[in-house]
Amino acid sequence: MPGERAALIWGVVATILVVISTIGVFLVAPEDADQGVIQRIFYFHVAIAIASLVAFAVACVAGILYLRTRNARWDDVGEASIRIGLLFSVLVVITGSIWAKASWGTWWVWTDPRLVTYLIVVLIYAAYFVLRSSAEDDRRMRYSAIYAIAGFASVPLSFYSVRVAESFVHPVVFTGSGANMPGSMLIWFVVSQAAMIALFIALLEVDLVGRRSERALRRLALRLENA
Amino acid sequence: MDGVDLQVDAGERVAVAGPNGAGKSTLLRMLATLLRPRAGRLTVLGADVADDARSARAGLGYLAHDPLVYLDLTARQNLELYGDLYGIPDRDQRIDDLLEHVDLLARAEDPVRAFSRGMAQRLALARMLLHRPRLLLLDEPHASLDARATALLDRELGAARDDGRAAVIVTHEVERVADVADRLVVLRAGRVVLDESTDGMDARAVRRRYEEAAT
Amino acid sequence: MSRRRQLAALVRKDLRLELRTRETIVAMVLFAIVMMAILQFGFGTRDDDLTRFVGGLMWVTLAFTAVLGVGRSYVAEREQRVLDGLLVSPVPRVVMLGAKAIAIFLYMTAVEVIVIPLVGVFFVQGPYWDAIGWIAIAALLANACIALSGTLFSGLALFTRARDLILPVLFLPALVPVVIAAAGATHAVAGGPHDMSEWRGYCLFLLAYAILFSLVSVATYDAVFDD
Repeated sequence: MPGERAALIWGVVATILVVISTIGVFLVAPEDADQGVIQRIFYFHVAIAIASLVAFAVACVAGILYLRTRNARWDDVGEASIRIGLLFSVLVVITGSIWAKASWGTWWVWTDPRLVTYLIVVLIYAAYFVLRSSAEDDRRMRYSAIYAIAGFASVPLSFYSVRVAESFVHPVVFTGSGANMPGSMLIWFVVSQAAMIALFIALLEVDLVGRRSERALRRLALRLENA
Repeated sequence: MDGVDLQVDAGERVAVAGPNGAGKSTLLRMLATLLRPRAGRLTVLGADVADDARSARAGLGYLAHDPLVYLDLTARQNLELYGDLYGIPDRDQRIDDLLEHVDLLARAEDPVRAFSRGMAQRLALARMLLHRPRLLLLDEPHASLDARATALLDRELGAARDDGRAAVIVTHEVERVADVADRLVVLRAGRVVLDESTDGMDARAVRRRYEEAAT
Repeated sequence: MSRRRQLAALVRKDLRLELRTRETIVAMVLFAIVMMAILQFGFGTRDDDLTRFVGGLMWVTLAFTAVLGVGRSYVAEREQRVLDGLLVSPVPRVVMLGAKAIAIFLYMTAVEVIVIPLVGVFFVQGPYWDAIGWIAIAALLANACIALSGTLFSGLALFTRARDLILPVLFLPALVPVVIAAAGATHAVAGGPHDMSEWRGYCLFLLAYAILFSLVSVATYDAVFDD
């Protein structure tokens, strides 16, 4: 099956990239002058955050395609993407929290836009599963697709609203953007980013293969029952 | 629904019968564009419902178990709402005519909540006829309409044939539609098991044909 | 079939029902006042000056009030089982949901006409009507945001199990940006000297939210009732 081959290839690519980026980030990349070793979590923190946004974008596109075609395959892609995206978002909150503890001595800072936004994102996509569990069949797929689209519209709004508020109340504490990174850090950031996106694709493929075989199994069971 | 292949022509009145769970209501809801067929093609009044349900809807008259009117609006306000939704040009005149037709003109300004079941069903009849539909879809009309409303409906169905309107009547009491239907379709487990003209059959003959097919 | 005529008829229907039963708006106003009082009691003691927080408290209250009102938006259709009547008529779903959004917008505005001037007495410093006027503009923008997203989420929750629980779970995370921005705009003009650039920033954000959600609405409204 081509799905299984894709899952295997992406799994290998993701593993290699994760290993390389872990070695690079901890052993090769230069130590940040101000923050020391804890700054290294930044590579994963930001890379996972961006990968989760990619996952939510994929789910949004899958939602649009589902509404167009009413093909259950797109529902599978949407749900799997949001499941992985939500997992990544939780990791973003956790790594952000660790970073906050190391930098400010406290696990949670309400004035840090990144932490607060990701908390909202986690809430938005956790609700997706509550919605899914309370409807069936075609309606579940349709509602999920609509919500995946609306949810993805909420994400930039949450980002921006928190930042608008922050810019008026406090100066943003951390910019942490790639723009002012030295080149040696940027390379490892790019590698980590590629690793996380490959990880997302690999997880997605594995999930879809699992669903496909489950469905085939159910069809087989049904046929045996009828026979 | 499985392999249902039906065609209803203008002026034809089709009774759809079958035991519980045979798919009668599902079929009617599909015809009413309330349910999307998962496979196959459905054309209602010349429009493919998959891509142009709206022009089909404009010509549909749907009578359900529920009167489909707001209890806290008056009879007239309900009809005004539907008149606007269907874009009826002579709305107010048409509403007066229909209220008179179903004998509710005197109660036009009362909220539907104060109506008896029979009155609400007569209002439902007026609601269905308001936009001069070309295809009537009736869901168990005899279960919900009282004698007066049934007489009105039967008269309407009689007129329907003469001016080329079609009707699909879902029922489990086939003998009651024997007079007004031209054709009997029997469903069982989502399949058509009988589809024949009822010309020259009386109520008992129709009943017999139904029971042979349905069991 | 004129869409404008259909839209006007549907809005008129909602307003007629509300005028006759007076169920929704009265309950919303009472709820808002009670909740404001509870929040004040919960947070403040006699000596504390809550002025700095009242903008936030007010918009938290209005967000919950919105959930209450939006949750009632299909009550007549559901309880009196009229929805099929609307769905078999040739009214585009966008018009149907647009009418609902207009009704929600009007309900929220009606509630705020009472609540904002009332609460404003306790926290507005400087010229009263001047501040209330600026707050009103922000409130109208916030209402548009609430109406557009609320219509979508209440349509999704309508046929789910436990819809009364589903609606806040879906709707509140999406309301976070609205609360942040509306509270910020209120805060900017309530404390004596106005900070107009801040007010403008928040209002522009609310406008962006409304525009984004109206795009989402146009893209998804047709699918909400498409069984």
